[in-house]
Amino acid sequence: MRACAVVWLCVALLASPAFAKPQRVVSLNLCADELALRLADPGVVKSVTWLSQDSRSANMAAMAAALPANDGHAEEALAYHPDLVLVGPFADPASIALLKEVGAPVVEVGAPQTLDGVRRQIRDLAATLGEPRRGEALIADMEARLASVAVDPSQPRLKAVVLRPNGFTVGPGSLVDEILTRAGLDNLAARLDIAADQQVPLEVVALLGADVLILDRDEQSAPSLADAALDHPAIAALARRMTIVSLPSRLWTCGGPEIVEAVERLAAAAKAARAREATQ
Amino acid sequence: MSARAASAEVGYGPLVATLAALMLAAALASLMIGYARLDVPAALADVFAGRSTAAAVVLEQIRLPRAALGAMVGFSLGLAGAALQGLLRNPLADPGVIGVSGGAALGAVVVFYSGLAGAFALAMPLGGVVGAIVAALLLYALVGRGAGTMTLILAGVTVNSFAGALTALALNLSPNPYAAYEIMFWLMGSLADRSLPQLWLALPLTVAGWALLLMSAPALDALTLGEDTAASLGFDLGQLRAQLVAGAALAVGAAVAVTGAIGFVGLVAPHLLRPLVGNRPGRLLLVSGLGGAIVLLAADVAVRLIPVHPELKLGVATALIGAPLLYGLIDRMRREA
Repeated sequence: MRACAVVWLCVALLASPAFAKPQRVVSLNLCADELALRLADPGVVKSVTWLSQDSRSANMAAMAAALPANDGHAEEALAYHPDLVLVGPFADPASIALLKEVGAPVVEVGAPQTLDGVRRQIRDLAATLGEPRRGEALIADMEARLASVAVDPSQPRLKAVVLRPNGFTVGPGSLVDEILTRAGLDNLAARLDIAADQQVPLEVVALLGADVLILDRDEQSAPSLADAALDHPAIAALARRMTIVSLPSRLWTCGGPEIVEAVERLAAAAKAARAREATQ
Repeated sequence: MSARAASAEVGYGPLVATLAALMLAAALASLMIGYARLDVPAALADVFAGRSTAAAVVLEQIRLPRAALGAMVGFSLGLAGAALQGLLRNPLADPGVIGVSGGAALGAVVVFYSGLAGAFALAMPLGGVVGAIVAALLLYALVGRGAGTMTLILAGVTVNSFAGALTALALNLSPNPYAAYEIMFWLMGSLADRSLPQLWLALPLTVAGWALLLMSAPALDALTLGEDTAASLGFDLGQLRAQLVAGAALAVGAAVAVTGAIGFVGLVAPHLLRPLVGNRPGRLLLVSGLGGAIVLLAADVAVRLIPVHPELKLGVATALIGAPLLYGLIDRMRREA
């Protein structure tokens, strides 16, 4: 009788929505691609964007390359008869409406602006994919690594500024700002009177008086003027005065677990900058 | 017409000296005015003392190439405009209007985004020069000598839009996600955050182009008397055409490869200065080059003072001045015809 009840309970649980794992997931956004590939069982994700397949700009390129790529269009997703479509925060509302009209469940993977938001997003998507344990494991690993980069509060914080392609910097109140803080750096952009990400002339960056200059740069990417802005000889000339660290954009474009590596690399750069100041 | 021109004519020497002084003043303003507060004399002292302070780096690596390139590119556009106008005997022959700048932008884009620019140092400016030559030859095949204004402008529109389409196509084919958005730079031009190495690379080709164009002054003056008279005076017209097309392609191609295509400078400068040299195309060359440098440096100071972010592209500023002028010019030609 008791055994029968247990079996009945298990059947009921398996039939409940929480255990109805999506089996045909299509992702139309780079950041959603990576999280889904980390969290879902192999074979569940049917298609990812072409952007995820480039190992220079994506974290899960090896897994993504084995899957058919899409260009992020709704009609491409429909070809896989998906039971879950993941879209990004800037997806075309018309595409989402089209997907919903034909009955495909759509879940938006956002761009979290805080570390808390990153954790919440992992937890939520893990639940959606029916893999809550994998989500918790991912978060626990992030926490452990973040704890090991603990910053000594007695030391003065170093001043840093971020320079992204096309001369964009990162303002306060963003995830990148929190990444800097975690690594023991103060974002100088807060002094520039800018609310969000904004283009900053190179001469302003040069004269800010930063200890650490963080370049958002991918090695060996195809040429563009946007990236060439980071190769300006003035930056090389400034290397004598400040510590310059290059962070590949794949580590901090999406709010995924890879941002921990960004914190680790920046903390290492901050350490190097301190050592350098001590010798000077 | 000639009486009015004569009355407006001033001495050639004083005119050149005045324009050169104005150009230096504009270049100095370009050095002094920027986005960050910079103590220019102190920075200059640091540069000469070999101290690599942040101020010295900004002055030497950011402000100096910007000012020098502004003068160099403006001179090239003004000079090439005057030379092409003399050759085609048409005041509308600006490198931007007739498609030479567009062709140069295409050449530079193909070299840069294909990765060829890294193959050897001069690849980028040479790409611009080859693009400019192809555009000039296409135009010349359509227009030939002595074609009407209508044919010239239509041929220019054709070459321009074809080059623009191919430029957009080349940018879209690049695997870099930023590339497609960079069409604005190539079609409108900018001097923002250019560098000293870019100046050194463009300079030799540019100077060679200037030399070819300036040496054509006597032949251009003779050409105003008609092709047969010029030929009878001993000028080889075939050689003159080749010399001017090569000179304009070298100067404009190298410039566009560094700054993108900036329109109307080659139209505005000759137009404003032509009456001051008594409508002599030979004398107009150097004067128009200096005028072009002044126009471009002033436009580049203006885009830094206008509080618009991101910075206005230079071609926007020059078109705001140049397009109404072009309109008026066409209107006057229509009435005189």
